[in-house]
Amino acid sequence: MSQQFTPNNALPQEAKVPQEVATFSPEVEAEMDRHLAKYPEGRKRSAILPLMFIVQRERGGYLDPPGVAYLADRLGVRITDIWEVATFYSMINTEPVGKYHIQICKTLSCKIMGADKISDYCKQKLGIVPGEMTADGRFSLSLVECLGSCGTAPMFQINFDYHENLTTEKVDEILASLP
Amino acid sequence: MRIEAIGCEPLLLARFKLENSHRLGVYRAHGGYEALKKAVETMTPDEVIAEVKKSALRGRGGAGFPTGMKWSFVPKDSPKPKYVVCNADESEPGTFKDRYLMERDPHLLIEGMLLAAYALGSQTVFCYTRGEYKYLIDIMDVAIEEARAAGLIGQNIFGTNFTCEVYTHTGAGAYICGEETALLNSLEGLRGHPRMKPPFPAVAGLYACPTVVNNVETFCAVPWIINNGGEAYQKLGTEKSGGTKLWSVSGHVVYPGVYELPMGYDMEKFIFEDLGGIPNGKKLKAVIPGGSSVYIMPAEDIIGKNVKMDYEGLVAGGSMVGSGGFIVMDETVDIFESTKNLIEFYKHESCGWCTPCREGTDWLAKIFKRIARGEGRPEDAQLILDLCDNIEGKSFCPLGDAAAWPIQSAIKKFPEDFRRHLAPLAQTAVVGVGD
Amino acid sequence: MSTDLIKVTINEKEFQVQKGARLIDVCREKAFNIPSFCYYADLALQASCRMCLVRIEKMPKLQTSCTITCTDGMVVTTESEEIEKAQRAMVEFLLANHPLDCPVCDRGGECELQEMAFDWGGLEERFTEPKNHQPEKYLSPMVANDSQRCILCKRCTRVCDEWMGEDAIEAGGRGANTVIGTYGGWLNCSQCGNCIEVCPTGTLLDATYRHQARPWELAQTVSTCTYCSDGCQESVGSRAGEVMRVVARDRYVNGHNGEFLCIKGRFAHTFVNHEARLRTPMIRYKKGGKLIPATWDEAIRHIAGKLDQIAEAHGPDAIAIVGSPRLTNEALYLLHKFATEVVGTENYTATDAFSLQPFFDNLGGPLATHQDIRHAKTILIIGGEPEELQPFTGKQIRQAVRNGGAKLLIVNSVPIRLKQQASAFVHVRPGALDAAVLAIANQAHNKLSAQKMGVEEIELIELRRALTNTEGDLVIMFGGELSLEAQAVIAQMPYTFGTEGRRVLLHPLPLFNNSVGAHDTGLMKGKLDAKAMLDAAGERVRAMYVAGSFLQEQLRGREAALGKLDFLVVQELFETETTAFADVVLPAASFAETDGTFTNNDGLVQRVRQSIPPVHQAKQDWMITAQLAKELGVDFNFQMSASAAFSEMASKIPAYAGLRYPLLKDESQPAQARYAVADKRDLTTELESIRQKVESLEETASKMTETPEVGHELFKIGTLTDKLPQMHLLAAGNPEPETVRISPLYQITIDANLQGKEAAATGD
Ligand SMILES: Cc1cc2nc3c(=O)[nH]c(=O)nc-3n(C[C@H](O)[C@H](O)[C@H](O)COP(=O)(O)O)c2cc1C
Ligand code: SF4
Ligand code: FES
Repeated sequence: MSQQFTPNNALPQEAKVPQEVATFSPEVEAEMDRHLAKYPEGRKRSAILPLMFIVQRERGGYLDPPGVAYLADRLGVRITDIWEVATFYSMINTEPVGKYHIQICKTLSCKIMGADKISDYCKQKLGIVPGEMTADGRFSLSLVECLGSCGTAPMFQINFDYHENLTTEKVDEILASLP
Repeated sequence: MRIEAIGCEPLLLARFKLENSHRLGVYRAHGGYEALKKAVETMTPDEVIAEVKKSALRGRGGAGFPTGMKWSFVPKDSPKPKYVVCNADESEPGTFKDRYLMERDPHLLIEGMLLAAYALGSQTVFCYTRGEYKYLIDIMDVAIEEARAAGLIGQNIFGTNFTCEVYTHTGAGAYICGEETALLNSLEGLRGHPRMKPPFPAVAGLYACPTVVNNVETFCAVPWIINNGGEAYQKLGTEKSGGTKLWSVSGHVVYPGVYELPMGYDMEKFIFEDLGGIPNGKKLKAVIPGGSSVYIMPAEDIIGKNVKMDYEGLVAGGSMVGSGGFIVMDETVDIFESTKNLIEFYKHESCGWCTPCREGTDWLAKIFKRIARGEGRPEDAQLILDLCDNIEGKSFCPLGDAAAWPIQSAIKKFPEDFRRHLAPLAQTAVVGVGD
Repeated sequence: MSTDLIKVTINEKEFQVQKGARLIDVCREKAFNIPSFCYYADLALQASCRMCLVRIEKMPKLQTSCTITCTDGMVVTTESEEIEKAQRAMVEFLLANHPLDCPVCDRGGECELQEMAFDWGGLEERFTEPKNHQPEKYLSPMVANDSQRCILCKRCTRVCDEWMGEDAIEAGGRGANTVIGTYGGWLNCSQCGNCIEVCPTGTLLDATYRHQARPWELAQTVSTCTYCSDGCQESVGSRAGEVMRVVARDRYVNGHNGEFLCIKGRFAHTFVNHEARLRTPMIRYKKGGKLIPATWDEAIRHIAGKLDQIAEAHGPDAIAIVGSPRLTNEALYLLHKFATEVVGTENYTATDAFSLQPFFDNLGGPLATHQDIRHAKTILIIGGEPEELQPFTGKQIRQAVRNGGAKLLIVNSVPIRLKQQASAFVHVRPGALDAAVLAIANQAHNKLSAQKMGVEEIELIELRRALTNTEGDLVIMFGGELSLEAQAVIAQMPYTFGTEGRRVLLHPLPLFNNSVGAHDTGLMKGKLDAKAMLDAAGERVRAMYVAGSFLQEQLRGREAALGKLDFLVVQELFETETTAFADVVLPAASFAETDGTFTNNDGLVQRVRQSIPPVHQAKQDWMITAQLAKELGVDFNFQMSASAAFSEMASKIPAYAGLRYPLLKDESQPAQARYAVADKRDLTTELESIRQKVESLEETASKMTETPEVGHELFKIGTLTDKLPQMHLLAAGNPEPETVRISPLYQITIDANLQGKEAAATGD
């Protein structure tokens, strides 16, 4: 079974319902407004995914309880509605991830072009297995399904950036070049 | 990676080689938005639909449904707003054509979507793009701003009373959201479960309003059709499936890439000439021609069988066009392993709504894992086929079938690769399956 | 649904069926067995379990009969090898990750999955892989959860959403990792437990009954709930004289509430066998002395003697007879009979919160049943809060709006939760509800009313327009906040708004399970109401015979009243503030130990059945009264038969004419009392007195802006709910326990004494 952050681990079931509600800078609020403006009257909920990405970007890479509370307020839905959606989509993290989230494609084309070599190399280089984060919180690793780079396999995505036609040397370069 | 047209003048890839092909200026300098101008100034919406019908354009998202017909299902008289939604969720393993269309020629897509909106009397277009393609959403947003600034999006386009807005929307990692009704749920901010059909989106789709969902490539074909006429497009292809089609080629070929072929192109020629054949002097073992969800084709069914690469041709050849995700595998590939990889994909992507797919893919993945551990049993093949049969045709949406087909065809076409693993306590535990 | 018939062929047999009928229902009507898990009548379609597959000619692949509406000439096959293989396959899939722990599962014996597996038989287990484990946990003090048994039919999430409008539980995760749950894992909802009820497996469990009994050990007795005036039908599960649980599962009971119950009906039955129940009759031989246990004969003789003395000394009117609106019709009828025929006093009453007398005296149309409410086109609620006080009515309202597209109009001084569903909410100042009635009755008063209520005149105009535009049923509900005149005016509204195409149905919102019965039996017709009677204590009234206890609000400011009586007899389940002053206390039987009837707010006369023998020395209220009458020389001659008492009552109460126990046998065909419809009356006097009251309202009172929390009434601790420990957790704000793996009861202890005071401070 491939190890993913979500949905395999749903929002922590024992987490206490958040009292605190996250706050964001005017710029970020404005960014969210731009998304909300796309949808017709009374359809705010449509913006749930775009807003989740923003909240997770602003709150250390995942939907922390205050972030979840914020989304429920902002979209006028119940907190459980946030939970049901967040846990459905594998790009919405419900647990902390590293500053650099390395997502290695493991699906067929990458697989036959050497994805295993890349993931094994990342594992030993970072000393973590997929689903884990380095102690310093800098890297986390997951194996993900096809990212649409089959013609340039093997590949991984670091946060949102595509890195393709990977070799172990290239992996070294890329990781070294990260600020 | 190569991106080129073969056997036809580039139609979708026309501008790919150009500097800054993604900029509005370049697009317009090469005939961009002429089709839209022509349509809104000289054609009625029904005439636009008629042209698309004549073109015999079929959906490029995988289902291959005739686009003109789909458009004609939208009720004209409905008082509700109508929506056009672009399916840019491209998640079918082996498929990456939409990605390059949006990266290199976003305005082509925008023009195509606007033409659809005009034809259907819609004022709002959403482009639902998979979350992993964030950089494409950024490109689209820039293009949309360019177009809006140039008066091509918004109020009174080309001074006519055609008014239309175009918005991008992001997915967040769920293959099932490529299924059009699941996509609509996702676009409404819900879990991406498919909806019951009927009602079909054309009648009750986004926000329960009439909605047309089409694939990126489908929209991208429309401007050419309006410029050059439906017949001309149809003639590029075969009688039932008109025009050209993009193929995303990956795996063991010398030149992987995105290729535009006229419908009905010869598969053997394509592989061994245009793609430079199989690298490192290896032999061809199998091809999955239409993305992970279609039947796998062994080399024997391709070599010397002049399989035609179009909807009918591939069915005759024992597979399907699907999304045109053309995955080539050489002799080193163990088909048991490649099949295991796919069932894991479907297990991970099953939305969990219905029993057979949710439980069936989970169970199958477990069986493949056990077998890979070297604990295969002779009767497993039978068990697997029976489980596939119990999923196929019983699931709520086609993902269930899509999970069953590759397995069924793999066992049927490559019994040897399975038998090796199913020998009692096979010693052939394969490396690289430690996950 | 249209009534024209179409032809459908099922398994080679032809049938005429209603156009638009659902195939699965038709098949089942015609006795073709169609298995299903996710299909549940009147809930959104799911079509996810894939059990109900059938073959329909001219259709590709098997079809789910739960999603198919019959069309003319449809040819259907429900039984074939192909279909059986598919259905077996689904059961196999569902069992694949199932723990198969039936022997330790509370649902074992009533589990639909288990039954399905047994029906099919011959399931060889081909699944030899490790199962996906999920931990057992608690979702609330009331709801336990064993996710691994879940088949994801999502009845629970749909019921929570569509019935309760709470959306408290949802499905999270994806694919094989999908789980039913809630953010934070802790349910803060009304704790109705309907999710437990509709769960086909042992996934959602009654936490108060966990591992207490196996279903087959329980005797199932169909009875009527003893809490609110909705009169839900329920099945009381008892074992060896102990009530173990209450359910509304349709395998046992098919009342008008379907499988719906609220927290009180479902969980708050623990008072029945509670150790604090009064055990024997007790006599306080001298004021201020102790209550001393006595035999029934002693007690009855003692009472008879005292009552004789007092009648001698002060005349019969010095003796007051008081009944509780929780008692059965039979008990209340006998109290009335006792007062009028044995004692001959004019002072008798029931301790209800408000009198329905003016309403029924002016009744201008039929009462709305809960089915009528579900299918109403417009619903007007003036005052009251059904969601908390008549939960089943609340559910019918929500479904009428949600599934039936009904218009909901609310006039209230409190922004109750229900206003989320309302198309119009007229938010009035506290105490100004009468003004609304005034304006609705006669728009000439709009200006005045609007001003006093603190609303715009246009709101009233639109309210009226909504009423007069209604096509179909208009249901009018009202709460006890209204003055008696206002209730009389509402009772006449069918004459104001009724037309050809519009039925006007009335639905009062009394508080108690037998408030309506208390009216029907005439006990509310006495000279003095409860408060007046307490005020007269020690003066005109020297002795009282009270079955039940006075309400908190009635005693408030009158704490000393009962002490002034020469003699007080109280018939109760528990010690209360009323028994504290009693000279004789008699242990009464609870609803679970009693035969009789309750009349609900639809006017449905429904059976209460004895499911366990009376605990200790308790006796059924009506029998105690009969015995006392006999001691005083009047033999009612009912022997031990409640049905005899009922028959006499039915012959005396016109609305009950012709009713007999045999006619009340089938809870699925409830009998509605036939209340006399009063003619159109001239209401000038009422309206005038309302107008004067409204005139005198000052416009300073500020409006309540806080929407009361879920459970502010439901979770109140009263004499009965006090006996359910979990209720105290809820009353204390449903604190989250340290871990959800252990019952919160074992983790959270709340100061019992403090809760005791709580109990005293409220009262139900
Ligand atoms: C499981 C599943 C996944 C799908 N994924 C995609 C996809 O990623 N992109 C796409 O365009 N269509 C996808 N489709 C097809 C869509 O449902 C729909 O047919 C298509 O978007 C219609 O557009 P078209 O007619 O232009 O092909 C998928 C279908 C299924 C059943
Ligand atoms: S087949 Fe069923 S579980 Fe699978 S994706 Fe479709 S609806 Fe979801
Ligand atoms: S009952 Fe029809 S699919 Fe579940």
